[in-house]
Amino acid sequence: VIVYKMASPKTLPKDAQVMVQILKDMGINEYEPRVINQMLEFTYRYVTTIIEDAKIYATHAKKSSVDADDIRLAIQCRMDQSFTSPPPRDFLLEVARQKNQTPLPLIKPYTGPRLPPDRYCLTAPNYRLKSLQKKVTTSAGRITVPRLSVGAVSSRPTTPTLGTPSVQSVTTKVSTPVSLTGQRFTVQIPSSQAASAKSATPSTPTVQNVLINQSLIGSKNILITTNMVSQNSASDSSSLKRKHEEDDDYDAL
Amino acid sequence: MAAVQDAPVEADNEKEIKTETLNDAAGNHASAAGGVIPSPPVASTSSSGPAKAGGPGSEEQQTLMAVLQFLKKNNFVGAVDVLRREAGILEDSDESQGQELAASALGGAEAGDATCTLSRASSCTTSTPAVAAAPAKGGEDQPDVNVVLSAYSQQGDPALYQGYYSGLKKFVESVLDCHRAELSQLFYPLFVHMYLELVYNNHETEAKAFFEKFSGDQECYYQDDLRVLSGLTKKEHMKGNETLLDFRTSKFVLRISRDSYQLLKRHLQERQNNQIWNIIQEHLYIDIFDGMPRSKSQIDSMSGSLAGEAKREANKAKVFYGLLKEPEIDVPLDDEDEEGENEEGKPKKKKPKKDSMGSKSKKQDPNAPQQNRIPLPELKDSDKLDKIMYMKEATKRIRLGPESLPSICFYTFLNAYQGLTAVDFTDDSSLIAGGFADSTVRVWSVTPKKLRSVKSAADLNLIDKESDDVLERIMDEKSASESKILYGHSGPVYGVSFSPDRNYLLSCSEDGTVRLWSLQTFTCLVGYKGHNYPVWDTQFSPYGYYFISGGHDRVARLWATDHYQPLRMFAGHLADITCTQFHPNSNYVATGSADRTVRLWDILNGNCVRIFTGHKGPIHSLAFSPNGKYLASGATDGRVLLWDIGHGLMIGELKGHTDTVYSLKFSRDGEILASGSMDNTVRLWDSIKAFDDIETDDFTAATGHIHLPENSQELLLGTYMTKSTPVIHLHFTRRNLLLAAGAYNP
Repeated sequence: VIVYKMASPKTLPKDAQVMVQILKDMGINEYEPRVINQMLEFTYRYVTTIIEDAKIYATHAKKSSVDADDIRLAIQCRMDQSFTSPPPRDFLLEVARQKNQTPLPLIKPYTGPRLPPDRYCLTAPNYRLKSLQKKVTTSAGRITVPRLSVGAVSSRPTTPTLGTPSVQSVTTKVSTPVSLTGQRFTVQIPSSQAASAKSATPSTPTVQNVLINQSLIGSKNILITTNMVSQNSASDSSSLKRKHEEDDDYDAL
Repeated sequence: MAAVQDAPVEADNEKEIKTETLNDAAGNHASAAGGVIPSPPVASTSSSGPAKAGGPGSEEQQTLMAVLQFLKKNNFVGAVDVLRREAGILEDSDESQGQELAASALGGAEAGDATCTLSRASSCTTSTPAVAAAPAKGGEDQPDVNVVLSAYSQQGDPALYQGYYSGLKKFVESVLDCHRAELSQLFYPLFVHMYLELVYNNHETEAKAFFEKFSGDQECYYQDDLRVLSGLTKKEHMKGNETLLDFRTSKFVLRISRDSYQLLKRHLQERQNNQIWNIIQEHLYIDIFDGMPRSKSQIDSMSGSLAGEAKREANKAKVFYGLLKEPEIDVPLDDEDEEGENEEGKPKKKKPKKDSMGSKSKKQDPNAPQQNRIPLPELKDSDKLDKIMYMKEATKRIRLGPESLPSICFYTFLNAYQGLTAVDFTDDSSLIAGGFADSTVRVWSVTPKKLRSVKSAADLNLIDKESDDVLERIMDEKSASESKILYGHSGPVYGVSFSPDRNYLLSCSEDGTVRLWSLQTFTCLVGYKGHNYPVWDTQFSPYGYYFISGGHDRVARLWATDHYQPLRMFAGHLADITCTQFHPNSNYVATGSADRTVRLWDILNGNCVRIFTGHKGPIHSLAFSPNGKYLASGATDGRVLLWDIGHGLMIGELKGHTDTVYSLKFSRDGEILASGSMDNTVRLWDSIKAFDDIETDDFTAATGHIHLPENSQELLLGTYMTKSTPVIHLHFTRRNLLLAAGAYNP
């Protein structure tokens, strides 16, 4: 928003000085300094485009060098393409005359929102729901990706979340940028287990030793917990060290 | 362009007609003449209707005759014989044709092509029949050949243009004082036309010399135009500039008293001044009036536009400027504070009383349009409720006047970084919309009530449709927020407008589209495509349903929300339309343009019923007075001009602002006019006083002369400065509190 005159015209490169002069001739005395850069960029781009086009026309006409006619033709074609101007006045008058001859259409009463036919509106849905594939829930061939669930930390020291392992959630949650180096914890590989966490089978509650490195609790205040599918929730809660977060704001995942 | 689908069909029909007449008129000539002149006018849809049928045929014949004469002149006897034999022309017919040529040369040239080489000839299509006794164009000794040839070349010798202009200058300096002011009006249009003539015909050096010598003499208010012209030295430079091309082909209108005109004519019809007489006749339209010559100040106040002043007939059509009758609404009895509304002063009755708003007389106001002159949407129940609210608020309205000025509440947009480009308020002042250069539209709630959008379809199924507060229940509480952002445009948003029933919002942008947004779901409903160039302003009609848009393509379009194509096109301006406004009775539309004129259009048939000239810069704001009789306009020259619509005259000039006046608004009863400008001030003017001293005696009405009193200072009631915030929009609430909006610009 700062507007000031150029303080040192002598230190400007030559074409910038020319641009300053052009602006002055056209009566523009106050402008932001970046205007000169923009104008010079435009000039450069325009001139190179024209000259390149002219070279093409010259080679097409089998001429050895580019001459004024080629440039003229190049300018003409560019004008018609990029720098179009509105239609001429007599054309507009004629079109207007025809349009204005038809009487104004009557308004139908009681028609609710008066909008054009649906084809011309933007009210159609521009998305389509993809039909769901049937869920593949085989136990064999399961991915052996260590399941980390990154849970948002709340300030209340409650029991750790026992999220049911679900196939979809892994990918999104692992993407949080927390370094996993320098920590030691055992990750549970669920290959041996079915999806239900509620199975009463006393499957081995594998050891979960979670040593939480302080550095893990970085700026995002996210605690990485392992997904524990075990029966003894109570005992687990004691073995887990959980950082109490002082501040309330956390990233809601 | 979607809007011009009709045109090519018509052009085809016209082409067929033309080839037919060619075949009829020229007979065997068609084959011979085919090679002589260019093919029949391709897309020429210019006016001159009846003349067209005979036009192309006679033009070909004339050219043929001209060629014959040329050959004869140079004694190519053999060639003459061959041509004559092949063309089938009889020997004596071409002699008589020679006479016809001279007379009909102008007519032939008027048949007008749209092609470049003949575009000078086409400049005569807009000529009026006033040129009947014009001497042969070109003024050279051989009227027959050279007349036709001169249609293809410029008039006179370029090197002599300077001489013509200086001669005219000397003449004007020598006349009596009273005539001098009027005749000095000739200088500017002649200067520009002669300069453009030289440029168009590739006389670059003469053009530059001509410009240097005489540009300094012109009036100061033409400086911007002259600056544009100074950069224009080649014909190619003119090609893209539609405004200048239109200027070349249209006639600049001057209003001169009969005495001055006689003087001028007598001087110019002397032999040596023939050239300049021809030039004047071709490019200027002199509207003669009987009476006293005008003074310089009178002329200065009316001139400044790109097309000269308005012809007297242009402002003679009858305009129905009265307001439509308000519908009678039954007011429920249980509201105690309605006594004041009953204008007849009847005592409060026990049964429900009808309230007629404003009009005591039951008969039709002669100046008001018929109720069904244009179709208007019927009042829905919600509209009736709105009207009742309006009437209630009206009773609490403060009467404004020079002694009781309104309070001003300013809404400043912070952190907009010069990106705020348009603002609008709803009529009940509950919502503000802002259009921004980053192509968003934002809507804020002014009242504590938050903005909510309607629930999704699934949820709407679950609510109880019979309950009393169903309108509350359809709103989704989770979506409540102070402001909503509407995305959709792909360019800066230059105009926003609320619908009167607060259901819709319109926005127009540099991407050429006008978008209709729903204020219940806060999504975009329709994109109206028609302008292919930036649209500078849009406005809803005061009754809803219709809206208008004006833009860079010099055309204003009238749309209805349920038609995807415009209903009316208002073409006639010479430059972009920068401002559009509906008349309170919704039958007329005013457009202000960069060609410095304000035009009033009739919606019923698309005619331009008024042309107001006098501003010296592009017009950026328009406001109709609430009684529909007057129009106020503000422009970049900092002046606010007041116009009487019925008579078509300028009745006031408010000087005071030092920069562009971006917003104008009349108070609810028309007592005060508020103007906001780029010079960071809001000024209040006494409009009752300004409209009081109109002298509309017969002379004024007949000739359109006004004598403006220099009373801007007395009319100014107050100047209120902001802290470097230009005022973009003004709005009087229903109780006459003034709201203003702008973006802080340190």
